[in-house]
Amino acid sequence: MMETGFWHGGPKPGAFYSLPGNSSTYNDMPRKHTQQPITTGTSVLGVKFDGGIILAADMLGSYGSLARFRNISRLMKVNDQTVLGAGGDYADYQHIKDIIEQRMIDEECLDDGFTYTPKALHSWMTRVMYNRRSQFNPLWNVVVVGGIQDNEPFLGFVDKIGTAFKSDVICTGYGAYIAQPLLREAYEKNNAMSEQEAKALVDRCLKVLFYRDARSFNKYEIAIVTKDGARIEGPMSSDTNWDIATMVKGYE
Amino acid sequence: MKTLGHMINSRFGSHLFDLLSSCRKNFHILSKQPKISVNIGQMDTVEEYQHGGPKQAYFNPYAFNGGTVLAVAGEDFSVVASDTRLSEGFSIFTRDNPKTYNLTSNTVLGCTGFHGDALTLTKVLEARLKMYEHEHHKPMSTKAIAAMLSTILYYKRFFPYYVNNILGGLDEEGKGCVYSFDPVGSYERESFRAGGTASSMLQPLLDNQIGFKNQIGVDQTPLTKEKAIFLVKDVFTSAAERDIYTGDQLIINVITKDGTRTEYFPLRRD
Amino acid sequence: MSIMSYNGAAIMAMRGKDCVAIAADRRFGVQAQTVSMDFQKIFEIGPTLYVGLPGLATDVQTIAQKLKFRTNLYELRENRKMKPKTFLSVVSNLLYERRFGPYFVEPVVAGLDPNTSEPFIASLDLIGCPMITEDFVVSGTCSEQMYGMCESLWEPDMSPDDLFETISQALLNAVDRDAVSGWGAIVHIIEKDKVTTKTLKARMD
Repeated sequence: MMETGFWHGGPKPGAFYSLPGNSSTYNDMPRKHTQQPITTGTSVLGVKFDGGIILAADMLGSYGSLARFRNISRLMKVNDQTVLGAGGDYADYQHIKDIIEQRMIDEECLDDGFTYTPKALHSWMTRVMYNRRSQFNPLWNVVVVGGIQDNEPFLGFVDKIGTAFKSDVICTGYGAYIAQPLLREAYEKNNAMSEQEAKALVDRCLKVLFYRDARSFNKYEIAIVTKDGARIEGPMSSDTNWDIATMVKGYE
Repeated sequence: MKTLGHMINSRFGSHLFDLLSSCRKNFHILSKQPKISVNIGQMDTVEEYQHGGPKQAYFNPYAFNGGTVLAVAGEDFSVVASDTRLSEGFSIFTRDNPKTYNLTSNTVLGCTGFHGDALTLTKVLEARLKMYEHEHHKPMSTKAIAAMLSTILYYKRFFPYYVNNILGGLDEEGKGCVYSFDPVGSYERESFRAGGTASSMLQPLLDNQIGFKNQIGVDQTPLTKEKAIFLVKDVFTSAAERDIYTGDQLIINVITKDGTRTEYFPLRRD
Repeated sequence: MSIMSYNGAAIMAMRGKDCVAIAADRRFGVQAQTVSMDFQKIFEIGPTLYVGLPGLATDVQTIAQKLKFRTNLYELRENRKMKPKTFLSVVSNLLYERRFGPYFVEPVVAGLDPNTSEPFIASLDLIGCPMITEDFVVSGTCSEQMYGMCESLWEPDMSPDDLFETISQALLNAVDRDAVSGWGAIVHIIEKDKVTTKTLKARMD
């Protein structure tokens, strides 16, 4: 019997030809928009004091459980009245930072005396984060915006899906569980603390976080905004005390 | 092959996918008819893990931030109230975030659910109301806002705003009116409605005290402003006892022909 | 759909001055279909001791019989009436025996102490975790609605008449916002030497 090859490679009875470029299996996987944070920063803390605000964040860039980058800044000065701090994916933060810096340059070039206020930047951040989440391609960050507007301190929060609010005390990540109660207690006792008191308070909170948050680091920066302007201070460290560590079962 | 593959998967979950796939290779060697004995559903899972690269982190575009809103219509007024707690899970974001939004001088919207959507929706509404006012030289009526809100919600029917809306205001005749919405825009006019996490606690009491349900032979006097405010405070105090997403503070907006007056009332903060 | 809401039920108990009240709806349904409107969900355990059993109807009847059996056995052996607090332990024990394959009922206990006439109300979850309260307990498919009503209407030291009105309003208005309970209700007002039982008409939708 001679093999004709007439139907060689053809479809089975009842099936269709599969032509190149028209494959039914070509697009059967949904496009993956979602991502995951890679290099991450942990908590950001923020609190108002008499005549200003203070933000604080440590300088660790974690790569999963690996403490990979130990000297990265997660706080930025936007202008003389606005600062911003971020947790979550560090690459996404750098992207946001680049955009904001370019916008500040554009704003400067206009030379019209106007610039981004803390409230405006916070509102703009909510739109950026919300729009990215609506495209299923989020910027994986929690952002805290702080500053002074109309002689009033401002602190605002935005997360990766566009949840936003303003508050006198803001903590993100593990800070929400560990540092927030300390900050709230201190703020409710004295809602007009001095800059020095606020610095000491934030230092204590970062220290407690360093003790208990495994993705934190004892090297941090703070951002302060007062009527005299905005500045980033640091790197600095807390004085830690490990005297009781020997009493912890399983420590040694 | 099917049996063992299934066993491995069910005992260890999907985390040991590399173990599973290495087992699968062995099966191909051992099995005489590997193609026939493949369980399609099972292998799909394995296939995905093999070619999907790193494990996909789960991204949820929604969050649930809790909160309760309530609107009551009277003869010549409306009351729109909400608590001011903003939460997620067992954390309280802030104790001072009202969920009522003053849209016009005589329309207030109560909006709970996912706060990101609530912010966006109210921003959209504000923009649309401004556009209307510029075009028609008058503010939008409560009835028209309700109709517009419905279409705005339905526009996102297949990626909805995850929010419960309750609109309070005055109608064209100056009578109090309340409109309640579902997240995708179905709506109706009512005389009172509770929405949000404690709505199921508030609504029956409102049925009883304002709608006079299950009360026979009782004097059905029209609702006064004072009684409405008293009831609102009472039901929210009750709700704050049992609902962890309701508390901190109550904001009450009283809408009359003279405009909107706002008052605050403390709720429990635990 | 949860098996706890397969048949639908609403039961609550309230404490008054020298009295307690227990009330339940009377619907027996299979999911959305109402089958009968005279289903018994509250069971008499002693002269001043009642138990309400919301949940899966088949378990309701089984548990009612098992509880009656165990209290009978107790009272024959001890030759005295069972205290509500003791009864609570009996219920708790019975339910916990099936910790890993539970009866789908969340009982409510209401009664007066046979010796001191002290009012007593309590509720349990389906695996027997008891909770004794001083004001009211609720259980069933519309527990949120019942909490809302009770939290607003209940006040301390109500007379039997006031207690009846309060528990009736609380129950009726709660079940009217639940699709699978209602269709009539029954209330027992338990006093030292008198139990008043009243059936209530309710919305039939």
